[in-house]
Amino acid sequence: MKTCNEEMKVSILALAVQCALLATVAIPPGAYAADSETDALTKPTNTVDFGALYSSQDSAKFGEYNGLNKEGAYGLGGFDVRGGNGYDQSKNSALRWKLGGANLGTTSRSLDGSVSDQGKWKLNLGYDELQHNITDTYQTPLQGSPGGNNFTMPANFGSINGQSSPSARNLNSTQLGAFQTEQEHTTRRNGSFGTSYTFSPQLSAQLDYNHLDQSGAKLIGTGSQGGITLSPGTNLGRAEAVNIIMNPTNYQTDNVNTALNWVGGKAHITGGYYGSFFHDDYNSLSWQSAFSSNGANTCSGTGCFVNNTMSTAPSNTLHQANLTGGYDFSSTTKLAGGFSYGYNTQNNSYAPTLIPQASGNSFDMMRANGLPSSSLNGVVQTTHGDLKLTNQSIKDLTLSAGFKFNERDNRTDSNLYRYNNIAGNTNQLTQIYDGVNTPYSNSKTQYEAAAAYRLTKAQNLTLAYEHENLKRWCNGVVGGAQCVASPTSNEDKIGLTYRLKALEDVNFNAGYTYANRRADADNSYLANSGDYGQTTAVAHSVLNGGNFLGYVAYPYANRNQNLGKAGVNWQVTQKLDLGVNGRFAYDQYDATLGVQNGQSAGVNIDTTYNYTENSSVSAYWSWQNGQRNLRSGNNGSQITAPTNIWTNKLDNNSNTFGLLARHGGLLNGKLEIIGDASYALDASSYSTQVPYNPSCGRLTSLTCGTLPDINNNLLSLKLSGNYKVLQNGKVSLTYLYQKLNSTDYFYNGQQFGYTPNRVMPTGLQPQGYTVNVVALSYSYAF
Amino acid sequence: MKLLIKFILLYGLLFASAYAENTPPSAEKAATKSPAQQMDRDSVCTRCHDENDKTPVLTIYQTPHGNKADSRTPSCQGCHGESEKHISSKTNSPDVIFGIKKGAYSASDAKDQNTACLTCHEKDQNRTHWQGGAHQVADIACTSCHQSHAAHDKVRDKRTQPDVCFTCHTDQKAQVRKFSHHPIGEGKVACSDCHNPHGSAGPKLLKKNTVTETCYTCHAEKRGPYLWEHQPVTEDCATCHTPHGSNITPLLKSRPPFLCDECHDGPHASISPVAGNAAGMQGGLSPTLPSESFTGRACMNCHSMVHGSNDPAGALLQR
Repeated sequence: MKTCNEEMKVSILALAVQCALLATVAIPPGAYAADSETDALTKPTNTVDFGALYSSQDSAKFGEYNGLNKEGAYGLGGFDVRGGNGYDQSKNSALRWKLGGANLGTTSRSLDGSVSDQGKWKLNLGYDELQHNITDTYQTPLQGSPGGNNFTMPANFGSINGQSSPSARNLNSTQLGAFQTEQEHTTRRNGSFGTSYTFSPQLSAQLDYNHLDQSGAKLIGTGSQGGITLSPGTNLGRAEAVNIIMNPTNYQTDNVNTALNWVGGKAHITGGYYGSFFHDDYNSLSWQSAFSSNGANTCSGTGCFVNNTMSTAPSNTLHQANLTGGYDFSSTTKLAGGFSYGYNTQNNSYAPTLIPQASGNSFDMMRANGLPSSSLNGVVQTTHGDLKLTNQSIKDLTLSAGFKFNERDNRTDSNLYRYNNIAGNTNQLTQIYDGVNTPYSNSKTQYEAAAAYRLTKAQNLTLAYEHENLKRWCNGVVGGAQCVASPTSNEDKIGLTYRLKALEDVNFNAGYTYANRRADADNSYLANSGDYGQTTAVAHSVLNGGNFLGYVAYPYANRNQNLGKAGVNWQVTQKLDLGVNGRFAYDQYDATLGVQNGQSAGVNIDTTYNYTENSSVSAYWSWQNGQRNLRSGNNGSQITAPTNIWTNKLDNNSNTFGLLARHGGLLNGKLEIIGDASYALDASSYSTQVPYNPSCGRLTSLTCGTLPDINNNLLSLKLSGNYKVLQNGKVSLTYLYQKLNSTDYFYNGQQFGYTPNRVMPTGLQPQGYTVNVVALSYSYAF
Repeated sequence: MKLLIKFILLYGLLFASAYAENTPPSAEKAATKSPAQQMDRDSVCTRCHDENDKTPVLTIYQTPHGNKADSRTPSCQGCHGESEKHISSKTNSPDVIFGIKKGAYSASDAKDQNTACLTCHEKDQNRTHWQGGAHQVADIACTSCHQSHAAHDKVRDKRTQPDVCFTCHTDQKAQVRKFSHHPIGEGKVACSDCHNPHGSAGPKLLKKNTVTETCYTCHAEKRGPYLWEHQPVTEDCATCHTPHGSNITPLLKSRPPFLCDECHDGPHASISPVAGNAAGMQGGLSPTLPSESFTGRACMNCHSMVHGSNDPAGALLQR
């Protein structure tokens, strides 16, 4: 829109446009010859980009998602080409097509294309690739490819004494030499297809399909039967021999989404089907553990190792029928809603439970008659319904009332699974585990009402109320035990929001919300982690899910919540904007033990100054803080409250600064310079107080005090220059400097000679980096 | 379930009555103007407004709103109103002024702007829940996010969309830069992959009806159902994860064992206070026995199947 100071003159170009447009009416299409300047404005600009960049350092973290995880040169490529008679104003055609590609020289490449006869039909295709680089410092003696599901120890590795302390435990030279570095990454390749067809102005249909292929591996911890001896009736050995191994992600997911849309004068409705089919190439992961419980490095050959197996993600399917729509009772009274029903199944074969060992014997993880079926035959039915009525028939007042219902009904059978626990010992009854699966179900019903009133032309007040009822249960649990800590909870929430247009260019808003949750507690619950023991379901000492008397997990505790927020946006001038906002939330839990309270706060300031039409500077600062206080005890039982109380506090603090500058119009409009700098500082700290133990701070204990902060400080500086070299050509030169300082005690437990006993070291290193990237590209527009 | 059945019946009745109404407004509109006639009508405006305007005008012909062969395509006055007073004198504003910032004229109320857009766009599945949704209630104008005249509408491009959302959602702007994050800044995940800004029946304007359903869209391996379920996984992924960014990988609200301690006290090692001993010998602990229960992955050194286990011997989420 022209500014008020400008004359509403009829420019030469505007006249050309007018003439060209009029010509479409007056002149037959074949004789049409559009003005070239008009064409430039009304027809799309196609671009092709190509070039190269150089990255100065190997870093999985820097290249986590951008594909630049290795030092070296990469190709740059991208294009955006559009066409079709629909762009030609002389032709009575709505046909348009588009082809695009981005990041073609990296593992973050994408391609897409579409063609449509607008208003009639549309087809689109897409391909998107993403390599998620996780770490390049992981070391393991296990042999096997990332993405595989079987890992074995080198035959000459020998055993490791899981009983020795880290300082005394030395891997011998053969063992150290067996460690090799593996690149951990997963790759997602997503192909998509979509089409829509309009049968009439009232009726249309659409179909979307995508196939997601995932490969690679992620690290996972594994507890195992370390050092078992397989002679029947003997000790099964030291437990919790931990190996961090590569968990394969050989997944394929197919998603289908179809919809049939009908639009009427007062109503519209969409009926659809959503199908999701997840397939995992594996159902188990096998590995060898070299840990033994007696005698370090005295064993030789493959007989030193214990073979172990665990499950992987099971293949599953979801079919979902969906219905959404709306009805206008009048122009001021409208109803909208939806309903969906989903049927989710999983019947993948269980992971093998009879594990062959090098000795020729096999270790059966299941006990006699302990396996009721070879697969779960799991079924979950999900139901959703919602309705919302809005009314604006009273001037300046908007009323709404709504209802929502969501249910996850797990219809899977509950059975008794009798197996040997990790650390199992056939001579110790307590290590025989009788587990009963507890298929969790839940439903949530919400009622909400809101009134928004326009007090004056510059002031709005909104009052909202919501009631939420949550139910949790398990169907047909063997033994009939309660499976959840809180079978029901009810929460009421009331909120008030005020908006003020203080001046024409100043907008202010403030809001406050109070919520109160009341949760029923059932301390007799066992959860699926409850060992049902040998006789009755509730006789074993796992009441309250094994937690001490008075302990309540925070999602199931009574809670008071207070939230406040406020913000102001000021358009100081037509060139200068300023925004400030802040928020604060405080949660208080009614629990003798467990999370006591939590709070979060944040302040954001941002400003933008557009000093010329194509030049601007913007800056922002964001501060965020979150805290959580926990109270727990280390003695007591489910029927005796603990007296040794300790507390723990988490403090997350974050500061982010950013500055973005864009200066165009240099060198007679040929040069544009862009600078983007940001600095993000994040710190997480844990502090533990143990008043009942005066010696908790000793070096042999260190169960109280503070942990070293988890710090991640990221400095990023990007400078770009775009220079127009030809009528349609542009050269871009970009320099990126990025430095991550990362300190994290997490890695201490991974190092050779320092890892806990019974944990195989991985040598994982903190992921800090300093990377310089230079990119040069040419963009051609046509 | 009875409540649900009543709800379904009510819903069916409403739509049955709605179906009887079969004269959609779009059909009425479509019947009249030819493409050429519509372009001719545009010239009422384009004789003055062109690319020299601060907001590009003519590039709208590169967008769906300028595809004149589609009979639904509006003219300038179809959105901005007849604006007869404005045509007669520049001192008068057009009937509907889009935008959120003051320009030559004050922007129209968001409600009036949105009415112009919703005339055509209200009745579809993506905007069914617009009325009463968070953005509608907050008087957010369509043009707060969309640039309908621009050849490239930033909010409809996966790579540039987050910048548009971050204009208001400044907390998230900072959070996506944290150590652990979804590839949002890298242009591989867009806000609209999870959220429907036009309103939804889900929490936080999520596209799906629940948090878990939304997450399963990409993380279908977590869906199960598993033999051994972890209760919070079946209810709300956000019990443990924070989706926009975290200082603790992978998108965790806290780190084990402290994260686990928020729901478990009593079983096994969760009764024990933990501090510097989680940092192992390098953290100051004397070289005795740093515990695998506290260091590194802590609880998840063994209980690694936190999203569920399908191993018959995995009730404790170890296998």
